[in-house]
Amino acid sequence: MNTAEAPDTLTVTPATHTLVAQFLAHEARLLDEAREEEWFELLDDDLLYTVPSRQSTAPRDTEVDRSAWRIRDTKAHIRTRLARQNTGHAYSEVPPSRTMRLVGSIEVRETSEADVVEAYSALLLYRQRGIDVHFDLIPCRRNDRIRLTAAGPRLLSREVILTETSLKTANLGVFL
Amino acid sequence: MTLTNDPPSSTPFSTPLNVLLDRAEKDMQENLVPAEIFNNDDVFTAEMERIFTNTWVFVAHESEIPKAGDFVQRRIGLDPVIVTRDGKGGINVLSNYCRHRGTQVCQTDAGNSRFFTCPYHGWTYANDGRLVGTPLMHRAYGEPLDPNQWSLKRAPKVENRKGFVFASLSEDVPPLEEWLGGGGWMLDLVTQLHPDGMRVAGPPERYIVNGDWKTAAENFAGDVYHLPTLHASVQEIDLLEGIQATCEIGRTYEFENGHTFIGHAWTQAIDPSFTLWGYPEEYKEQFDLGSLDETQRFVVDHEPPTVGTIFPNFSYIRFFSPLPDGPPAVVTSFRQWQPVAPGQLELWNWQFVWNFQDEDTAQRDYIGGQYLFGSAGIFEQDDTVAWEGVQRAAASPWMRKEGLKFNYKQGENSPVDDTPDPNWRGPGVHRNTGYGEHVQFNFLRQWLRTLKGETATGDETTEGTPA
Repeated sequence: MNTAEAPDTLTVTPATHTLVAQFLAHEARLLDEAREEEWFELLDDDLLYTVPSRQSTAPRDTEVDRSAWRIRDTKAHIRTRLARQNTGHAYSEVPPSRTMRLVGSIEVRETSEADVVEAYSALLLYRQRGIDVHFDLIPCRRNDRIRLTAAGPRLLSREVILTETSLKTANLGVFL
Repeated sequence: MTLTNDPPSSTPFSTPLNVLLDRAEKDMQENLVPAEIFNNDDVFTAEMERIFTNTWVFVAHESEIPKAGDFVQRRIGLDPVIVTRDGKGGINVLSNYCRHRGTQVCQTDAGNSRFFTCPYHGWTYANDGRLVGTPLMHRAYGEPLDPNQWSLKRAPKVENRKGFVFASLSEDVPPLEEWLGGGGWMLDLVTQLHPDGMRVAGPPERYIVNGDWKTAAENFAGDVYHLPTLHASVQEIDLLEGIQATCEIGRTYEFENGHTFIGHAWTQAIDPSFTLWGYPEEYKEQFDLGSLDETQRFVVDHEPPTVGTIFPNFSYIRFFSPLPDGPPAVVTSFRQWQPVAPGQLELWNWQFVWNFQDEDTAQRDYIGGQYLFGSAGIFEQDDTVAWEGVQRAAASPWMRKEGLKFNYKQGENSPVDDTPDPNWRGPGVHRNTGYGEHVQFNFLRQWLRTLKGETATGDETTEGTPA
């Protein structure tokens, strides 16, 4: 990330911005519609999906500890998570949570690699499980790197910064 | 919430505490447990008064506060405490309530500071808890306030046992070593196989689970019966093997004061070379087993503890898994079931790694541990959901009306020999099966004894000493 940040979304063309925004909206819809296998096709082979630790600290810029994780998944880890869900016996998601991913505040930036852009977005995930009366909200920000390929954008890395230090949902059985 | 024997008007069908405890005592003799203990306001209040402010509770590992000034914020029951490393290297466990009006003097989870200043009126305390400053002192108070009287409250008892720091909010407890008894013997087998010991791999991750803290504690005391059902999916994707045999190869370790572990005879079930939890050879080579006696050596080689609970709410798990995208690993997690409310806990999860490990293998085991046991753990996700159901049944008006009792009768009529191993030469009781619900009862009986006001014992395994 650059140290002196300007509102430089215009470093990418409006077409690129739209392409990336569409991509983020599309993958969110795939996950909300229980189309995880289609979502998986949008992951780059070099994917790194992390949820680093966040604690209350002072100064504030030490809150996120990028050497500590709730999740640090490669594509193989995610493949295995999906395989487990597909057994029908991954009981935290039997039946799968009803979810709604609201994606917004999207910023897209160039990187030093011509075919890779950075995308920053906010996500609010509503989750209601099984016969629960209550629902969970999982707020977070996502710092993504997205590879633009001939076949379309592919998620290269995703860093999920949870808003909460203590999750109010019992597990992260859903992708953020 | 009050400790009254009258039914609280706000919670119809709620059973008065003493009635429920008497019922629990009677039911347990028949291998039953009243469902309501897992979600009852009076029980929860009593647990705070009689257990969490009255016994040893884990607060931190010393590797979390290595340097002078380091601190972490923790909880003992519902109470926020600051665990600090002072300038002399001492460890302090301090109440996070300012002595002036009670505002929390520390608003962060971790950090490094010589002082804690209350944001309300500015009373300032050194990191050993001593009151060192009150703003506008001369006009406000005329003379310095006596720090012997007005410092942060300190936990009356704090002990650092081989890196694991425990505190008690009561003076009237046995020494930690005596309290842990066989539980300490087992913790040594888990964490002291190398002279450099273990450390936390990162800060604890925290998540709210709508389950009662006792449900999690009794699960980790050694509920191996749930594996073939709740965790079947993990075997179906080949990240676990032998799940159907989990009870057959289960080995219980029941110690005094409710401390309980259960192991698995991995060398019998998987392969004779699968000693020491199945650790890779390069780890086994590092372990120094020379000081272990014959019993200890047999335990770590052939029937090492898989899970365990140090009463009341500190648990352990160590597991082998052929993880995706990397070599197989043995992962170690300690966790604490922080009571939040009746039927609700906050799970604190620390991965542990060996100090002899290089950064790469330590990180790999850390990530692997999170992949299995953590908020996104492929085992633990499912536990969190199962545990929710227990406290719902416990709060059910219909089930309270019925006086619902849970079935802990496993082993009563089973052909399996679940009697104590007569040849066992270690501490406590050892059984050569995971069948029976002895581990859960070892935990629950301590819970009952404590709530009924009986004191901790130094050397007996299953019987409390009447107060």
